[in-house]
Amino acid sequence: MVRAVFHPRSAYAPSAGYRLLPLRFGRLDEHAYIVTNDVGEYVRLARDELVAFLERRLDPNTSVYKALKSRHFLYENDSSVAFDLLALKYRSRAERVAAFTGLHIFVVTLRCDHSCQYCQVSRQSEDSTAFDMTVEHADKALDLVFRSPNEHIKIEFQGGEPLLNFPLVRHIVERARKQNEDHRRDLQFVITSNLSRLSDDVLSFCKEHGVYLSTSLDGPADLHDGQRPTRGGGSHRKTVEGIHRVREALGPDRISALMTTTPRSLSRVEKIIDEYVHLGFHGIFLRSLSPYGFAARSLVKRYGVEDWLDFYKRGLSHILRINAGGYFLREEFTTILLQKMFSPLSSGYVDLQSPAGIGIGALVYNYDGAVYASDEGRMLAEMGDQTFRLGHLDEHSYEDLLTSEALLVPLGETILEGMPMCADCPFLPYCGADPVFHRATQGDAVGHKAFSAFCTKQMGVLRHVIGLLETDAEARDILLRWV
Amino acid sequence: MFRDGCIGVTVDVRAYRLSAVQKTAYRLAAKCTAIIGEVREHSLVVTLTFAPTTGEREALETARLFFQELLDQELREKVGEQTASLRALILAHAFSRTSLPPRG
Repeated sequence: MVRAVFHPRSAYAPSAGYRLLPLRFGRLDEHAYIVTNDVGEYVRLARDELVAFLERRLDPNTSVYKALKSRHFLYENDSSVAFDLLALKYRSRAERVAAFTGLHIFVVTLRCDHSCQYCQVSRQSEDSTAFDMTVEHADKALDLVFRSPNEHIKIEFQGGEPLLNFPLVRHIVERARKQNEDHRRDLQFVITSNLSRLSDDVLSFCKEHGVYLSTSLDGPADLHDGQRPTRGGGSHRKTVEGIHRVREALGPDRISALMTTTPRSLSRVEKIIDEYVHLGFHGIFLRSLSPYGFAARSLVKRYGVEDWLDFYKRGLSHILRINAGGYFLREEFTTILLQKMFSPLSSGYVDLQSPAGIGIGALVYNYDGAVYASDEGRMLAEMGDQTFRLGHLDEHSYEDLLTSEALLVPLGETILEGMPMCADCPFLPYCGADPVFHRATQGDAVGHKAFSAFCTKQMGVLRHVIGLLETDAEARDILLRWV
Repeated sequence: MFRDGCIGVTVDVRAYRLSAVQKTAYRLAAKCTAIIGEVREHSLVVTLTFAPTTGEREALETARLFFQELLDQELREKVGEQTASLRALILAHAFSRTSLPPRG
């Protein structure tokens, strides 16, 4: 008698009946719905398909059924594989929370030689050393950095212009590397600089210690210089020279640039993107203004979220054309969302986390020794709102800071899965809580999403990106290469 | 009917649960304020109150959206009911072998 090695084909046929796995759904556009699950899988459906699916009468032979089954939206009664896979994927996505704080921002000075109209910090003039961080505070902050259990530690220097207090940057990097001989973390350093004070000394230090640089580049010279005035002018020229010098000294991938969208930028997205291509960048972050600092007082009210969405969509379309022409250029905000859709590990981007990225994703050590739960939290403090001030390096221990009410209360309140509207939103797996934004704009950390520009922006971008993925094969090919 | 800046809509509570009505009202807050009344027999009267600048056409469109959204919310409630225990099971399974400290 021949022993059966394989089951007959019929054994693999769908069994009668299926059950729903946890999911969320909502309108994608006028014609379609989207269903998503907790691990970021999604399927686009017509309304009648959605209703048939939810009422458990979907035909197992349809492609929609197969898509829903393969992406863990339903399970057949004879299989428990979906549970194991979902649990594994969920755990992978949640690992970031257990890893705890990876990004540590040192505001080494508030001094700056630029007076940008959109500056989110209340900058100080170049010679006011009263606004420099002291060595004592830097050392105390470093001790806290290594209390974090995260294997990957990034120390970012911000300001003001951090190179105006370069001796302290040097001290922190050298001391951190020394301390890391015991801690053995994956340690990275980034200086966020306008590059006006870039010297050979700074470059050779960055080379010796593997320090990255991040700069601001708002677009072509007239736009950049108009938005980023400096004494004597020529901010754009100095930035471009600095970019070339960094690449020559440290390598092509050691510097990145960020732009900020102001009312003047809105009509010029193509020119802004072309400037990045012209300078050899392969990434651009189409960043909207944040409602903090000088920007809150002057610029934010001059354009709405719909204006930015139009800017973003035209920009993305231009970027896709550039990619189709053979030059690799990715839009960084879109890439973060794509990672949330297609990568099992999600994304570490602080502003799009649940629970919120405050404290868990980043800690900020201010020039005066105050510790904040996020960079935006310290910007809010500069405007007089101390909600996200966790404590002070002279007065509080690591335990005090990380278990303070200022951190735990907004963290608890801003877990998306429990937030009104967010809990039911199909875009939840790709979104995040932004308690500082909502505090700044609505007066509380949760905010009402029906009135939230953050929510409108997220929904607008996600609908557009998913629409492209689902209806434009060429765009989909390009977008998936960015992940 | 649009009168004095308001539209009254009646919801049959045999078809829609109160939580779905509340979520719908919350979601449409930017367009109108929904005042949820008492349940009488099987009917719940919800008064949609509009800003003085809102015209009749816009108000009627919001009332249409109210029922469209209510239908989705009711479906969500049903799905949530069917899958709540599975979600808890999956989460428990996901973290069953982590080093997270035990409760208590």
